[in-house]
Amino acid sequence: MDFYFGLAQVIGVHTLLGLSAYIVLLTGQVSLAQAGFYAIGAYVAGMLTVLGGWHLVPALGASAVCGAAVACAVGFPALRVKGLMLVIATLAFGEGVRLFFFNFDYQIARGEIKVGPLGGEGFRQIRFFPENGWSTLEVMLFVWLFVVAAMALLWWFDRSRYGTVLRAVGEDELAAQSVGINLTAVKVSAMTVGGAIAGVGGGLYAHYTTHIEHSSFNILVATFAIAYPIVGGLRSVFGTLLAVVFVQGFLIEGLRFLGDWRNLLFGALIVLAMNLRPSGLLGTRRRA
Amino acid sequence: MKKVALAAALALCFGVAQAQDKSIKISGFGAKTGPVRGFGVNSEAAMLAAAEVINKAGGVKLADGTKAKIAVDFYDDACNAEQGISVVRRIAGTDALVAIGPTCSNVAEPLFGILQKKVGDASDSGLQFPIFTDVAIKVGLAKISEWAFRNVPNEMIMYSSVFYWLRTTRPELKTVYGGVEEDFAHSRATWHVVMKDRAQANNFTVVGESKWLLADTNFATQVREMKKANADVIAISAHPFSMCGALKEMARQGVKPKVLVGLTSSSTTETLQGCGKQVQGMIIPTSFAPVTKDGKYASAETAKKKGAADLHSMAAWENMFILKDVMESEKITGKDVQGDRRKIRDGLAKLKQTKGLMGVTKRTDDREADKPYLFVQAKGNEWVVLHNPL
Amino acid sequence: MLDFLQSLSDGVLFGATYALIGIGFTLVFGVMHKINMAYAAASIGGAYCGLLILKVMAGAPPALVFFCAFLSGGVLGAAVYVTCFHFIPLSSPLATLMSTVGMLLLVDEIVVHATDGMPQNYPAMFDDVMLRAGEFTMRGDLLLVFAVAVLCMVALLLVLYRTRLGLATRAVAQQPVAARLCGIRLERVNVTTFVITGLLGGIAGALIGASVGTLSPLLTTPLTVKGLIVTVIGGLGSIPGAIVAGLLVGGFENVLQLYRGVTERDLYVMLLLFVFLTFRPGGIFAPKGGRD
Repeated sequence: MDFYFGLAQVIGVHTLLGLSAYIVLLTGQVSLAQAGFYAIGAYVAGMLTVLGGWHLVPALGASAVCGAAVACAVGFPALRVKGLMLVIATLAFGEGVRLFFFNFDYQIARGEIKVGPLGGEGFRQIRFFPENGWSTLEVMLFVWLFVVAAMALLWWFDRSRYGTVLRAVGEDELAAQSVGINLTAVKVSAMTVGGAIAGVGGGLYAHYTTHIEHSSFNILVATFAIAYPIVGGLRSVFGTLLAVVFVQGFLIEGLRFLGDWRNLLFGALIVLAMNLRPSGLLGTRRRA
Repeated sequence: MKKVALAAALALCFGVAQAQDKSIKISGFGAKTGPVRGFGVNSEAAMLAAAEVINKAGGVKLADGTKAKIAVDFYDDACNAEQGISVVRRIAGTDALVAIGPTCSNVAEPLFGILQKKVGDASDSGLQFPIFTDVAIKVGLAKISEWAFRNVPNEMIMYSSVFYWLRTTRPELKTVYGGVEEDFAHSRATWHVVMKDRAQANNFTVVGESKWLLADTNFATQVREMKKANADVIAISAHPFSMCGALKEMARQGVKPKVLVGLTSSSTTETLQGCGKQVQGMIIPTSFAPVTKDGKYASAETAKKKGAADLHSMAAWENMFILKDVMESEKITGKDVQGDRRKIRDGLAKLKQTKGLMGVTKRTDDREADKPYLFVQAKGNEWVVLHNPL
Repeated sequence: MLDFLQSLSDGVLFGATYALIGIGFTLVFGVMHKINMAYAAASIGGAYCGLLILKVMAGAPPALVFFCAFLSGGVLGAAVYVTCFHFIPLSSPLATLMSTVGMLLLVDEIVVHATDGMPQNYPAMFDDVMLRAGEFTMRGDLLLVFAVAVLCMVALLLVLYRTRLGLATRAVAQQPVAARLCGIRLERVNVTTFVITGLLGGIAGALIGASVGTLSPLLTTPLTVKGLIVTVIGGLGSIPGAIVAGLLVGGFENVLQLYRGVTERDLYVMLLLFVFLTFRPGGIFAPKGGRD
C-alpha cells in the first residue's frame, strides 16, 4: 500500500508543477521557467527545515513567497517577448537557476557532519518527514492538501472574472488590450501565482525525496511542467491532473509489466496522444 | 519468474510445505532507460545468472530445514530519484526480502534518505527495508541509513594504492594533474575527495586540474591547460563519454603523460568502444577482472544472460551469494516477510568479511565494503591485469 | 592574449556545429512558425544511422558514413513531419511542441536501446590535421565543419532564392493562405522543408560526431538548448543570422570558460541571450525598428 501512497505523493507534487504552468499557459505564454521556481522552492524549504530548524509548513510558505517573488521579477522583462522567444528566454532562466544551484555552497556543521547544499554534490538529508515520524499516508495527505488547495484556487479563478481575463489575453492579446485589459498586470500576476505554486511543489519535492541536486531541476522537468497542462488540455485544472496520472501513473509506473518496451513507449505514446487529441486529453475540439 | 511467484502465493494460501514450491524473492533495480542503460542490463543479467547457479545447487535453506528457490525480478529506475523511490516502495510492497541496486549515486542518495536512519528507532518513520547496493559508488553513502549496505569498491583505498605503487615503482614521477567531470556526483567526488588527496598523501605534487561537464563536446581549453602543466601523471575522473572526448583532444594536442590514471567505473567495454585507440595504456584500479576461476565462471554465466561482466555487475553477482549465505546463517523462515527482512539486515550488519570473486572482501563498520582490487590497463581491445597489489 | 585568441578561435570553430543545428531550427520556424524540438535528436539519430554502414561494410571511408547520415537525416526529417505535424491542425501550436518533445524522447530512447547507451566511436575526416602558427593551432576537422556550414548556407540560400521550390517556400512562410490561393501545395512545401532540414541535420550530426570523436545520446539536450539559443540570437527565420549567432555563441562560451571556469560558462551564455532579448529582440540581422 505504501507504494500507492508514495506514487500519490509523486502525482501530487507533479500536479502542482503542472498547475504552475497551467495558469501561465492560460494567458498564452509557454514558460519553461517553472523548473527554476520549483528549484528555488526546493532549496528554500530544505534549507529552512534542515539549517534553520523550521517546521515544514512555514518553510513551504517561504518557498511560495520566494517562488512568487522571483516569478514576478522574471515576469516583467520576459513579457517583452512572445512565442518562441519567450520559450527560449524562460528556458534560459530555468537553466540559469539550475546553474546557480550547481555553484551554490552553504554548509554549516551539525555535530560531526556538515549539512546544507554543496554545489554539484547536492543537498542531502532533508529528512523532516521521517524524523518527525510521518507515515507515507500522512505525507501523501499533506501533499494533497496543497494540491487540492491549488486546484480549488485555480478552478475558482477559472470561474471568476479573473479567469475570463486570463483566457481573453491567451486567445487574442490585441482584442483583450482594446477592451481595456492591462496585459502586463494580467501576465505578471499569472506568472506570480504560477511561481508560488511551483515553489510549494518544489518544497514538497525536496522533503519527500530527502536529497536534491541541480540535475533534479533540468530541462526535462521544465518540459514536463508544460507537458502536463498541454497533454491534459487547457479547459480545466482536471486536465492537468489527468495528464499527470497518465504520465506518472500510467506511462512510468503502469507500463512496468511491458519490461523493455516501456521506455520506448513513453515518447511514442506522448506523440500519439497529441495526434489523437491535439487540444489535450480533456480539451475541447477547437475551430480548425 | 511470474510462475514461481504465483506458485509461492498458492503455496502460502494452502499451507503446502513442499520444498520445490517455495521461493524467496530478491529484487534488483537500476537504470535501464537513458545513457546509463548498460549498467542496468548487466546487473540484471548477473543477478539472473547467479540465481540460476544457486537454484541449480538446491537453493536457499530455510529455518525449518526445507529449501527455497531464489526468484529475481528487476525494475527500471531511469537513474531518476523519484522513480528510484517509487520502485523501492513497490518492491517493499511485495514479498521481496531485499533489493539490490541502484545504478546511480543520485538515486542512492535520496533513496537511503527515505530509509529508517537508525534501526529500531520508533520515532523515525523511514522505510524498513534492506538495500544492498552493487553499483552506485560515490564515497560514503551507506552511512546515511542503517538499512543501507554497499558492496562497491572503496575508492579511497584503491587510489591510495595506485599512487603508492606509482611512487615506489616509478620514483621519477613527481607531478599529478587532474581532469574531472564536474557535474556528475560520483566522478566529481572521486577527484576532489579521493584522487587529489591520495596523490598528495603519497608525496606527489598536484599541479592543477581541468574541469568539464558530463555532456561537454569541446575540450580544447581544458587540454591546453593540461598541456601547459606538463605533469608526469594525468588522472582523469570522468565517465566514458566525456573521458573519450578529452582523450581524443589530448591526442590531437599531443599531450602524452608518462602515466594515465582513470576512474574505476571507466574500466569497461564502453570506453574501449568509444575510444579504444586513445585509451591505450591507461591504468585503472578495479575490483573485478576475469582472472580467477570464480571470476571467469561468473563472467561466462552472465554472458549467457546477455550481460557483460565488469566491476559493477559482478558486485551484483557477489551480492546474490552473500545474501544467500546471510539468509541461511540468520535462519530466515520464508513466511514472516518483515521479520526476515530485519534478519537479513542484521545479518549483513554482522558480517566482518565476505567471499568475493577476487578473494575476501572486508566489511567496514559503516556498512561499506573493502574489496580486493587490482590494476588493469587498456591494451589492444581489452583491459589486461597490470599488477595485483594485494 | 594568445590564450584569449586561441580560446576564441577554438570556440568559434566549434560554434559551427551550433550554427548547423541553428539553421535547422530556424528554417522550420521560418516556414511553419513552429518549433521542432526533435530536431537535434533526429540529427544525432541520423548520425547514428550513418554508423550502420560500418556494420554492412567494415572499414567504409568516413565520407561514406557522412553520406549515409545525410540520407538517413532526410528520412528522419520526413518521419518527424508525418508523426508530429501532419495530423495536427495548424491552430494547435502547443500540440506540435509537445509531439516533438515526445519524438525527442523516443529517438533518444531508440538510440539507447540500440547501443545500450554506450558511446560510439565516430570516424572523422582531417582529424589529424592541425594548422599551426607557432603556439597557435587550429583543428582541421573543425575547419571542415565550418566549411560545410558555410556551404550548406550557400546551398540553402540558392534553393530559397533561385528555385521555384524556394519561391513557394518563401511564399508559404510569408502568407500561407495567399500562397494556397496561388495554387501552392502547402503540404508539399512543408514536407520538403522537413526533408531539407533533415538532410542538413544528418550531416550536422555526423560532423558533430566526428568533431567530438564519439556519439552519445547525452549530446541531444545540450545541442537542443544551444541550437535554440542560437536561433533566437540570430533572429527567428534568419539563416545567416543562425550561422553568425552559432559562431558567436561558440566563441563567447569558450572565452568565458577560459576566464570564469566551466561551471559558470553556461550561465554567461544565458546572460548573453538576455542581453539580446532586451536590446535586440529581432536578432542579429533584424531590421531597425523591430520585427513584424
